[in-house]
Amino acid sequence: MTEKNLQKTNNEQMCTRCIVDTTVPGHNFDENGLCAYCRLHDKLEQRYPLNEWGERELQKLVRSIKQKGKHNKFDCVVGISGGRDSIYTLYMTKKIWGLRPVAVHFNDGFGNPVAGENMKRATDILGIELRTITSDWRESKDLRIAYLKASTPDFGTPTDIGIATALYGTAHKENVKNIVIGQSFRTEGIAPLEWNYLDGKYLKTVHDQFGTIKLRKWTADDPGFNLSLWPMIYYAFIKRIRTIPLLYYHNYIRSEAETIIKKEVGWVYTGAHYYDDLYQSLMTYIMRVKFNIDRRKYNYASLVRCGQMTKEEALENLKNVYVIEDPKVMDLCVKRLGLTKEQFESYLALPPKTFRDYKTTYSLLKKLRWFVKISSKMNLLPSTAYDKYFECG
Amino acid sequence: MVKDVLKVGMGQLLVEGGEPERNLERACQMIGQGAREQCDIVLLPECLDLAWTHPSSKNEAAPIPGPFSDIICAKAKEAGVYVCAGLTEKHQGRVYNSAILVGKTGQIVLKYRKINVLAVGQEFYAIGSSLAVTETPFGVLGINICSDNYMDGLPIGHTLARMGAQIILSPSSWTVDYSVVESEDPYGEKWLKPYKILAELYNLVIVGTTSVGVIVGGPYEGKKMIGCSLAVGQRGIIARGKYNEFAGELITAEFPVPQRREKGAAIGEMLKRKGHQFDQIK
Repeated sequence: MTEKNLQKTNNEQMCTRCIVDTTVPGHNFDENGLCAYCRLHDKLEQRYPLNEWGERELQKLVRSIKQKGKHNKFDCVVGISGGRDSIYTLYMTKKIWGLRPVAVHFNDGFGNPVAGENMKRATDILGIELRTITSDWRESKDLRIAYLKASTPDFGTPTDIGIATALYGTAHKENVKNIVIGQSFRTEGIAPLEWNYLDGKYLKTVHDQFGTIKLRKWTADDPGFNLSLWPMIYYAFIKRIRTIPLLYYHNYIRSEAETIIKKEVGWVYTGAHYYDDLYQSLMTYIMRVKFNIDRRKYNYASLVRCGQMTKEEALENLKNVYVIEDPKVMDLCVKRLGLTKEQFESYLALPPKTFRDYKTTYSLLKKLRWFVKISSKMNLLPSTAYDKYFECG
Repeated sequence: MVKDVLKVGMGQLLVEGGEPERNLERACQMIGQGAREQCDIVLLPECLDLAWTHPSSKNEAAPIPGPFSDIICAKAKEAGVYVCAGLTEKHQGRVYNSAILVGKTGQIVLKYRKINVLAVGQEFYAIGSSLAVTETPFGVLGINICSDNYMDGLPIGHTLARMGAQIILSPSSWTVDYSVVESEDPYGEKWLKPYKILAELYNLVIVGTTSVGVIVGGPYEGKKMIGCSLAVGQRGIIARGKYNEFAGELITAEFPVPQRREKGAAIGEMLKRKGHQFDQIK
């Protein structure tokens, strides 16, 4: 096959195993037609195997969390949003792994009330103390509008950074060394870098360029939206606060998890994945109409890989616009930001960009590639940080 | 039939700025829950339709009676329960921060327009001009709203007490800075002190229900509402809501209806006996 022909085929290609196709950045199909995300998945399966060794590793981790926190009121921080994954993680952390968590929720002003009820019920029933770290609405509103003006697809970055700093800030304040997050590569996948780039410097650049108010300064207990290099070094390397995705070590099957948390803590489905945050409704819409991005592709691809969804089912689901795009909720989001429909439409019409159009720490991270790899391995950085930055597009 | 024990459902509602449809839907659910829990009255927060000082108050407020109050009245009738609710009222080109008491039959039996409107709220709300109480099967009820119970606004509560109120219902929207977290005492004596003063001086019960949620518009952006609603009687706190900023909750306060013996000028004599300091000119 000539190079020209190969290119043509690639343009129409879909992974032989999952549903990642050429519209997903970083697909990088190999000679067998397997995408880079499947290869990464297999690598992670080897790193976090669901066998006896994996179970021993999990128990070792749990013991180490208990040991590190034995003199504290809490031995870990668990981030919760009210969605299935985080509530299940909270349940497992307390009931099955016997840890003493403090639950931390980052309230960015767009919480889905159904998710709010879930968090309240779960923490009440499990007897877990809840800390709600609320953003200063003036800052979060300004940041959201700044990202709309920046015209990149990763306008969830402020909330993602807010979540990370809420977890680090609380861990620091309570002298807790371990943060447990309810993420699973098996069911959620890893978003392509160009769709979701997380970097404190990027946020600062976008805000400096498009924001209208000053963001508050970083302090270790109250980091706000600051997670550039120094705060990251401080939390991860000086204070040695680890981020642990315990579900990586656990055979996490969504349908089973759902049954358990419905029964045990009265969990209610919010209606869609990520819908613990109402702003996701507008985000999903913008991603689809402006950037031709359907995030379900990498979500469903991961479920296909681990046998929790068939390829046919995933492709069938993708034919319809995702239910999260509720016009009433999208209107709510625009109104809540204090924007007129005309203003919003004008932001929507801006030419699409990516994080590569802005000043970020990405070039530095590339130079520190091996350092990031080792830090990820040691859980000093989230364990898939390396994969995310260097193997996903 | 006069009831001598009253059960008030403090409907600590999630209120989203500028979202009357969603807020009223939750209010109706809360009224239904209150009825199922055998409450005599369900007390809901201040400006539960549009949220306190939300910019939409200026152009989306409705008359009372009107579409928003009709929803509350219909639900009160359906549930067979008294409801006291704070609503944003449009009247003759002005907007008021109002509250209504709705009877079991769905009729508005009392309406009040807030008097002690904070300076920051005066851009949105005109000042009310009357106070009233009403007789109900649970005794004499009076209504005031939130900052009417500030220490410097307490004459409003004193006046309701002088009018014979055995119970004061106070739809509220207590706010704190965004940085407050659950491990802190959010209010200290701020609300407890004035509530205690009125309850102890007059032997009445005062119940304040506040909303929960982040303030997402208007001059109070950067603040939030976190619940901790409060019911106080002569002997102290009867019930208190939990801290929460994203999920509503119905808290019930059950108490004997306080019996007040003194009326009119005899109240002044009673206050003197209790050592109450009246206003003085220096």
